[in-house]
Formats: sequence, C-alpha cells, structure tokens
Amino acid sequence: MPDMLEITAYALQVLLIIMAIAIVTHKNTGTIIVLIAVFSLVTASLYVINKAPDVAIAEVAIGSAIIPLIYVISISRQREFIVLDKAMDDFIISDDAFTGVGYIFLKRFTDFYHLELNISNDVRLCSVGRGREQKLCEETNVDLIVSKDEETGKYLLKGKESNILMHKLKQMARDYDAIEVITFKDRDFGD
Amino acid sequence: MIRQGILIVMLLAIFAVFIVSLSDLDQLYQTSADYFREYGAEQTGSNNLVTAILLDYRLFDSLFEAGILLIAVSGIIWISKHDIEEKNARFMLDKFKTPDLFVTFSRLVYPLMLAFGFYIIVNGHVSPGGGFQGGAIVATAILILYYIDAEKETNIGMIVTVEKFLYLTILIIASLSIFTRGTFFTNVFPYDTHGGSNQAIYLVTLNILVGFKVALGLWAIFTAFLKEGR
Repeated sequence: MPDMLEITAYALQVLLIIMAIAIVTHKNTGTIIVLIAVFSLVTASLYVINKAPDVAIAEVAIGSAIIPLIYVISISRQREFIVLDKAMDDFIISDDAFTGVGYIFLKRFTDFYHLELNISNDVRLCSVGRGREQKLCEETNVDLIVSKDEETGKYLLKGKESNILMHKLKQMARDYDAIEVITFKDRDFGD
Repeated sequence: MIRQGILIVMLLAIFAVFIVSLSDLDQLYQTSADYFREYGAEQTGSNNLVTAILLDYRLFDSLFEAGILLIAVSGIIWISKHDIEEKNARFMLDKFKTPDLFVTFSRLVYPLMLAFGFYIIVNGHVSPGGGFQGGAIVATAILILYYIDAEKETNIGMIVTVEKFLYLTILIIASLSIFTRGTFFTNVFPYDTHGGSNQAIYLVTLNILVGFKVALGLWAIFTAFLKEGR
C-alpha cells in the first residue's frame, strides 16, 4: 500500500508530461505563458516532495514569476506593426481621417496577421536622415518607414529583410503601382 | 586598454586564489554526505545544510555562480545597447495599459512580497532559502512595481555599477578568512566560538549581499527587456 505522498508525486509527474505536451502543441501565446508558469509550480511541488525546499523556492520565484512576466512584456511589444510616416501627404492620412490608399493597403496587411497598426509621425524619428534609416530600423521598434520618392512619385516602404512580414508585404504590393517595397540587408551584428 | 589590463590582473588574481584553495579542496572532496550531516551545523553555524555548503564548504562555487549572473546581465545589456538616444518613441507607452484590477492587487501584494523576500534572505541559515532565492523574490516584487507605474524610469547603468561593487564586496568578505583561518573562502570566525552565534553573523552578511546582488542583477535584466519595447 503506497502512501499518499507517493501517489501525489506520481500524479504530479503525469501532470508534468501533459503540461509539456500542451505547451508544445498550443497555439495561443497567452495560454502558453500561463501553462509555463503552472509547469514551474508543479515542478516546485515535486521538489518539495523530494525534500529540496531550497530549490523549490528558487523555482517558484524564477520559473513561475520572473520568466512568465518577461515573456508577457516581450509578447505585448510584438503585437503591433509600427509604421513611421515620413511622406506627410494624403497617402496615409487625408483630411484628418485614415482614408488614404496606403492606409487601406497597410490595414489589409495587418488584419491578415491580426496585428494592430500603429502609425506614427513622431518628429524626432522623422527627422532622421535618409542614410540613417537602416540604423533607425535596427535600433528602434519601427517596423516600416514610409517615404515618397520625389522623382518617380512612388511611395517607398522600407523595412528589415530579416522581418518575415516583409516578404508578404512585397507580394501584396505587386498589385499596387504606386508602392515599392525596399528591404534592408542585415548587417553583421557585433563589431 | 587600461580596462583590459585591470581585467587580466583580476582574472590572474582569481586564478592564483583558485590554485591556493585547490590544495585544501582535495581533502574536502573526499568527504561523504554523512560528514556534512554530522559536523555541518557545528562547523558552520548554519542549521540549513544547503546554506552551510553554499556559503562555507563550497563557497568558491557560489562565487562563480554569482559571477555568471553578472556576466549574463552584462551580455543582455550589451545586446540591447543602442546609439540613438531616447531610442524608442513614446507612442508605444500609451498602448501599454494594465487592467485596473491587476494594478490594485499589485499594490496590495507588493509590500508582502518584499517582506517575504527579505525574510528568506535573512533567515537563509536557519530555514530553506538564502541569498539567491530571496533575491529573486525581491526582484519579482520590483518587477510588479513596473505594472503599477508604467512610466517609471530606471537607470540601468547605476544598477549594474552597484551590482559590480556588491560582487567585489562579496569577494573581499569571502577572502577575509585568509587572515583568521589561513584559507580562502570560508567562515571568517574560528570554529570554537560558543554555539556558532558569531558564525551566523558572517552567514547573514553574505546572504544579504548575495541577495541584493541577485535582485539588482534580475532587475537590470528585465529593465533591459522593458526598455527594448519603449
């Protein structure tokens, strides 16, 4: 007749396996974060059962508090597609309303990926020169820079090549004559 | 160039200390678990044998563990370093709204978490826990503070500088035992003090220092993450 503690330990171990499979197969990021936190709590209770309370405290603090919170921060930053509007004409905003061709195009694109479109014309960022645009993309969380080519009248959409979204944007821009998508080649990170 | 020189000198010093303590470790690694159970509390003044091993018998390991955290923090800050000042625009911040319920609950829980963290740090030598665990709990409490006030500004540079100095202090306190006992990295106070109450002073001091160092390190890590999105 095994005692109660032993049965609990076996049940928790089975729960751990189920939790691990759920983390791998689940699609919703919010749920996955909660599952990771629960996974850590179950692990911590197993540590206590195996008489390692010191490790259990560390596991609870790190695994079920700090790591999920860092994930939450990182993912909440990823939910948006940030566009820097340097064109300053009716391409995106016309008459104080979002009705421009560019806006409709970008809206269609972000709706496809369930992202939130965030258009900025922050003065400090817009004043960054043409040569430093790539640096701006690399160093800030701006995903796309919209500007107008004065000679051809085309609107240039610039972004990083390593951003997977840019490939889809390129495909969608084929239907529009006035839009050209330019990608920056990634430089080697680290000097 | 001067920095690199200092770094090399420090590494050589640590290596020399390592060689010195190696002669003593030889006999310690022969010991079995029973040895710690029998003499642990008596020799180190710690009822928690994990702390006894962490802060006395195998202090060398703990010091390098703390060093690894310092290196990890430096790495994360180096990766998230940017040249453009005020690197991300403020428009990001307005979108980041925390639910009111969460904010209210955080305000309620924050002091309790802080108190619990300090309790675990200070009682590291009598009950489960210690510097690292308590430091992690204190860091979580500070992280909750960011949810209460999203616009809080933190100076990462200062945090990391304080952390480095704490690490140096830990190294100095750990090597003080060369004067009293003749070996590096063990308790400063000699064995035969009454009831080990003197030895507890050393354990509590080291636990508090390690706790603050860990809390500052984790604080620096998630501040770097938070700033990345702003």
